Amino acid sequence: MMRLVTTVVVVCLLVGCGNGDDGEISTSTGPGLPVSIGTWSVCVTINELCTSVTICQPGTDNCQTISDVLVDIGSVGLRVFGSVVSTPLSQTTDAQGRSLGECAFFADGSSTWGPVQRADVVLGGTRAAGVPIQIISATFGGQSATSNPCNGTVDAAPDEANLNGILGIGLFRQDCGPVCAVNNNNTLYFACAGGSCAGTSVPVLEQVQNPVWLMPSGNNGVVLSLPTLPATGAPSVSGSLILGIDAAASSTPVAAVIPTDPNGFVTTFYKGTAFPQSIIDSGSNGLFFPDATILSCAAPLDSFYCPPNTVNLSGAIVQVNGRQITVPFEIANANILVGTNNAAFNNLGGSFSTFDWGLPFFLGRTVFIGIEGQSSNLGTGPFFAF
Amino acid sequence: MLGMASLIGAATTVVFLMIPLMLPPVWAALGGPAGTVERDRVMMKGQRQSRGGVGYSVDTITAAGMQVKEYISPDGTVFAVVWKGTGIPDLRLLLGEYFDDYRTGLSRRRTPRVRGPFRMKNDRLVIERAGHSRSLWGRAYLPSHVPTGMKPEDIQ
Repeated sequence: MMRLVTTVVVVCLLVGCGNGDDGEISTSTGPGLPVSIGTWSVCVTINELCTSVTICQPGTDNCQTISDVLVDIGSVGLRVFGSVVSTPLSQTTDAQGRSLGECAFFADGSSTWGPVQRADVVLGGTRAAGVPIQIISATFGGQSATSNPCNGTVDAAPDEANLNGILGIGLFRQDCGPVCAVNNNNTLYFACAGGSCAGTSVPVLEQVQNPVWLMPSGNNGVVLSLPTLPATGAPSVSGSLILGIDAAASSTPVAAVIPTDPNGFVTTFYKGTAFPQSIIDSGSNGLFFPDATILSCAAPLDSFYCPPNTVNLSGAIVQVNGRQITVPFEIANANILVGTNNAAFNNLGGSFSTFDWGLPFFLGRTVFIGIEGQSSNLGTGPFFAF
Repeated sequence: MLGMASLIGAATTVVFLMIPLMLPPVWAALGGPAGTVERDRVMMKGQRQSRGGVGYSVDTITAAGMQVKEYISPDGTVFAVVWKGTGIPDLRLLLGEYFDDYRTGLSRRRTPRVRGPFRMKNDRLVIERAGHSRSLWGRAYLPSHVPTGMKPEDIQ
């Protein structure tokens, strides 16, 4: 991935990524939040889909727009590095006046630490007031990147994490929910004072929130549309993120509605085996699944598959009616993909013990993400549809 | 009896809170003796359930929206640990002497950054992490201690 990252940066320097005239592929699905890959200065990882988000001091016009924010269907809540925030926000506290902080954990093994603060969040022209978000700050509460309550090293800087922030707009209203409202030892929320932090419970509405469900309209979920790519990828791609499901659902054919289990998992059948803890996650940059017949790459790309020839495969995801919808996909040799110097690929994959339908799944599709408890013309969340 | 158990539990907590600072590897859960499961339960302030199986047994600890399963081989060694829930349990506690391997594996994925589910795998140790907000899961096992006839996919 060092090579992946470095290569992309060099390409951007040489040809000017983001000009939109060097083979950029885009969809035109109407109004929404523009999202893209390969057009950013901090989001430089392959298949890293990012956008810009505006945050404001609550109730004021004192706002700033933060670029290079990962569009993440696999997490919940807006998180931005404190080092890029210049707008004063309001710190949340517990009943004793101690500052609330959080450890957020991600599937890639990374974690973020920092205070929970309230901001007005503007997405595509719509504004949600007083949304609890996480300010990523390794030194909050007297902690450090290597010594903190998060079980390991936390992200310390945008250039290291390859993002300025994470826009978590997944299946749920909050990142924890009822469990963290009643348990002090939930391992996510902490109350900090005098340089030390202790586990604490936090009422559901004071936890870090999915900003979408707090919007005055378009709050039942999001619709992510990305274009189809050729087998050799593209230097950049642009698509759209629409808030609210119903308008797009009336104009876009929907082949399948996939309700998730209470934990947000779906079931994938692959080569005769069921994987009931499958996820659909735009924040993962490949399709990750178990197949011992496909060669993995040598280090440092050993998280990815390197078949000698591209393989045509398919998985089947279980729908609302119990029927399965087949999702065809291809896996190409990651070494060869990297050699193209492109930034976006629909055929990048790697080995894992269950199914992670990452960013390539979203390419060439319009995917609907329904938030828990919010009703729409496609049903009540949590669900995926496409 | 209940009062007695609570007293013992409280005393145990104090003792173990002090000792890991000096002697962490001895108290390892993964790779350690079955007796360490009870220490983990006390530290997690959780409930514990044991279930026998063919060729191994499983102890399940539940606490604060999390579930931890510890797999124990016939010779009494914890050969696998599986966790799932809204949070992540204290992996320094559960991985014991393997925690440093885990941290090394994590840092290898940070620079350069890999955006996919976490996996580290060698002859000695396999650790995976995945899931998403509201439901994170992970597992760690020692391939050479997995009982004959048991497959890695049975550890979940």
